[in-house]
Amino acid sequence: MIMPLIKGLQITISHMFKKPVTLQYPTERPDVKPGFRGLHALNVSHDKAKCVACYLCPTVCPAKCITVEAGEDQNHDKYAAKYEIDMLRCIFCGYCVEACPVDAIRMTEEFELANYTRADFTYTKDRLLEKK
Amino acid sequence: MVNLTIDGKQVAVEKDATIYDAAKACGIKIPILCHDKKLHPFGGCRMCLVEVEQMKGRLIPACTTPVTEGMIVQTTTDEIVKARKLVLELLLLKHPIDCPVCDAAGDCDLQNLTYEYKVNMNRFVDEKFNHEIDYENPLIERDMNRCIHCGKCARICDEIVSYGAYTFINRGIEAKMGTEFDGPLNCEFCGSCVSVCPVGALNSRPFKFKARWWALQKTKSVCSYCGTGCQLTLGTKDGKVLTTIYDENQGFHNGQLCTRGRFGYQFVNSDKRLTAPLVRRNGKLQEATWEEALAEVTSRLAAGKSDPASVAALATARLTNEELFLFGKLFRGTIGTDNIDHSAGYAHEALTKGAVASFGVAASPAEIADVQKSSLLLVVKSDAYETHPVVGFEINLGVKRKGVALRIVSDKKGKLTRLPGAKTTVHAPGNEVALFNALCKSVIDQGLAAEGVAGLDALKAAVADATAEKAGVSAEEIAAIAKEFASAEKALIILPIGQGYPGHNAALANAAANLAILTGQYGKEGAGLLIMGEKNNSQGAVDMGIYPKGTGLNAAAIIDGCASGNVKTLFVAGENPVVSYPNRKKVEKALENVEFMVVSDLFLTETAAMADVVLPAVSFAEKSGTFTSLGRRVQNVRKAIPAIGLAKSDFEILNTISQALGGARYNNQGEVFTEIAASVPAYKGLTQAGLKDEGAVYPVALTAKLVPAAAKAAAPVAGKLALVTGSALYHCGTMSRFGEGPMYVCPDAYAELNVADAAALKIAEGDQVTVTSGTGAVQVAAKVGKRVPQGVVFSPYHFGEGSVNTITDGAEVTYVSVAKK
Repeated sequence: MIMPLIKGLQITISHMFKKPVTLQYPTERPDVKPGFRGLHALNVSHDKAKCVACYLCPTVCPAKCITVEAGEDQNHDKYAAKYEIDMLRCIFCGYCVEACPVDAIRMTEEFELANYTRADFTYTKDRLLEKK
Repeated sequence: MVNLTIDGKQVAVEKDATIYDAAKACGIKIPILCHDKKLHPFGGCRMCLVEVEQMKGRLIPACTTPVTEGMIVQTTTDEIVKARKLVLELLLLKHPIDCPVCDAAGDCDLQNLTYEYKVNMNRFVDEKFNHEIDYENPLIERDMNRCIHCGKCARICDEIVSYGAYTFINRGIEAKMGTEFDGPLNCEFCGSCVSVCPVGALNSRPFKFKARWWALQKTKSVCSYCGTGCQLTLGTKDGKVLTTIYDENQGFHNGQLCTRGRFGYQFVNSDKRLTAPLVRRNGKLQEATWEEALAEVTSRLAAGKSDPASVAALATARLTNEELFLFGKLFRGTIGTDNIDHSAGYAHEALTKGAVASFGVAASPAEIADVQKSSLLLVVKSDAYETHPVVGFEINLGVKRKGVALRIVSDKKGKLTRLPGAKTTVHAPGNEVALFNALCKSVIDQGLAAEGVAGLDALKAAVADATAEKAGVSAEEIAAIAKEFASAEKALIILPIGQGYPGHNAALANAAANLAILTGQYGKEGAGLLIMGEKNNSQGAVDMGIYPKGTGLNAAAIIDGCASGNVKTLFVAGENPVVSYPNRKKVEKALENVEFMVVSDLFLTETAAMADVVLPAVSFAEKSGTFTSLGRRVQNVRKAIPAIGLAKSDFEILNTISQALGGARYNNQGEVFTEIAASVPAYKGLTQAGLKDEGAVYPVALTAKLVPAAAKAAAPVAGKLALVTGSALYHCGTMSRFGEGPMYVCPDAYAELNVADAAALKIAEGDQVTVTSGTGAVQVAAKVGKRVPQGVVFSPYHFGEGSVNTITDGAEVTYVSVAKK
């Protein structure tokens, strides 16, 4: 009867001298592992978004949170006149990244996405481009 | 029938079938890139290679090899798959893999086959093409880097459209699909080439980058421009019509469309659409609620019930049968006025008076299917191609494939006159009736009249002095046409009618019918008289009785009534009399004078701008119902998108008014069709569900009668040019002005002159000219060519600015003077 109790306390006390497993967030920052799927970012090449508005990401998106509208630029090329992600709907599955044929979208390590208004969760093309 | 075995399946097919056809018949799919069921076999792409037991040792192209008795065919062996993979590898060697930005992706034969045959490696390496992309023309983008040289564009343009805009140029690896002098494309812009392109080498510019193929919702419907009744598939997304989709299995025309059908859909989502009712307050049209607007309309119409003669109504032949039926019921039944009409009153007379007198039915005796089955076509005016381009394609096919002889009697030349073997008789403008009378006389004189035709003596007397000279044509030509027509196995007269053709009236229909009846060329397949209504539901409007039946006023009399004050309330459903009725000034004055005018329309047209109440109506894409096209085919129109803004269909508008006035009320438009089927004899037994995708041609029982037609003598005025009006190829009525496609190609009114006249008047192509008649003067751009004969000017009637009705007054020919501005 007493032995199991002592054994239990032994484990408890031993932990008092070990490094804690919890992270003292936000003073301590987590070490984000490679392959983490955080906030999206649109890749840039030659000062232009790489996105060619092929609509594969909105097509594959299971949460239907991506809105793309294609436009025609001066060289008659296709570009995303509008690229929006509704972060409230996004399930961070990463299919958009996987589907992209031109490596135009990636997922960053950013995970602190809390905000104050609903509108703040609509990430427009400009906001997605900010983090290069 | 020939029996053969394909992949172990026994199949029996016609002896002129190919292996490809036979495989298709028994449900085996053979991949193709260069083959199209509408075109002659080409055998260029080598995708359809199959193995034939009797021809072992090599692979045989299925699309060009005719079947033989006892043939044993294998369509998928390892060797065949290997060969097909090689073909794809070689095509992909030069093809830029830019599927992400190519609008064809998802609907691309090359992409689909690459996926199906798992061609994910290429053992060859080569540079891609670096051809310049044609962005010059407004409707078709040509990126020859993507071309796989199937040649379908060139073949369809040649075989069906008969334009010939494309051909292969250069040799070997440098071979490419070229245009005239390898310059930018400049053609009719029917877009047939875009529709058959298996890859994204030819793209529709208005649809460029608008949506991906798989995101489009597809709705089968019927085109709302001309009376041909072409079926089309609308590609819609988010409540917008974005494109028309090619479906080779649709309609008699196998998915073929003209410029307006393929590129003219933008009027549906135009920014200019009316989205809320407008009511005139203090002399200005202001937005109002539906309740306010309809209350005003119903109170006026209710007041009109006590004096029905003061109420008049004009409808456009673009409404559905259901709407037109309700329109007739509301005004004729509930309000009790017979003052209803459509299409300016004269544009339907060939049916409502001409065909009734000659054949006993207010419908076209022949149907479209007769065109290719005929052995001789006699086309009245080369404009038949401009008014009904897809019927024009049928004529092309008849002439080129079936060996149909083509005779044209016209006041100008045109595309039809250039077809192989076509013989054109150019007569002086306005002499159509005289010409047909001369033909009848010639038939009688040559003893070619069919035996036992009733009323022959009366006709003989009537045409006794109808000489060829009176028609302005040589006697030999008349005699030759009369002889050919009478002795042809099956001869068909094609008569387009419309608001641009005041001369194509009851008398001309009678005169043409006389020729058919006299020679016995009617009542059988491939023969008779095909009267081609101008608008999508011209035949339906006649069937629904939208014209004065008793003592009511016709359209011209309604306009006069408005001017004199006898008509106090005018209801206009979709018509635009200011631009499309003769004598614009008179019409404007009359409409200003009428006490109360309500217009329901898609746009604030010239007429709607003068109204007291404007009700926003919907286009064909936003409503369901039926249209009856020329040749009496009743077809389903299906709603593809929700109504724009607060707009309501004319059915809803008329239904609400009808109920408020104590008339009938229907729960949906389907109920109206049931009533149509019960009360219109020709539609007996038809149901909307029963019409399915292909529609139904209602039968007619002809009671032929010779009706002498009096020819009005056209009296040329010395020193003046004869103005003839009509339709431009890219436009139909006044609605196509709101479609971007047609406006890119043909944006402004013009007057077409002969080179000799232009030289005499010192006018060059593109000059602004003033055309003056006794009625008024108008300024338009000049077009100079050899199409119109000397002494004749042609001007299309569709445009609001520089509208030709400013100078016409309903006569067949208007004599005008033309001067450089």
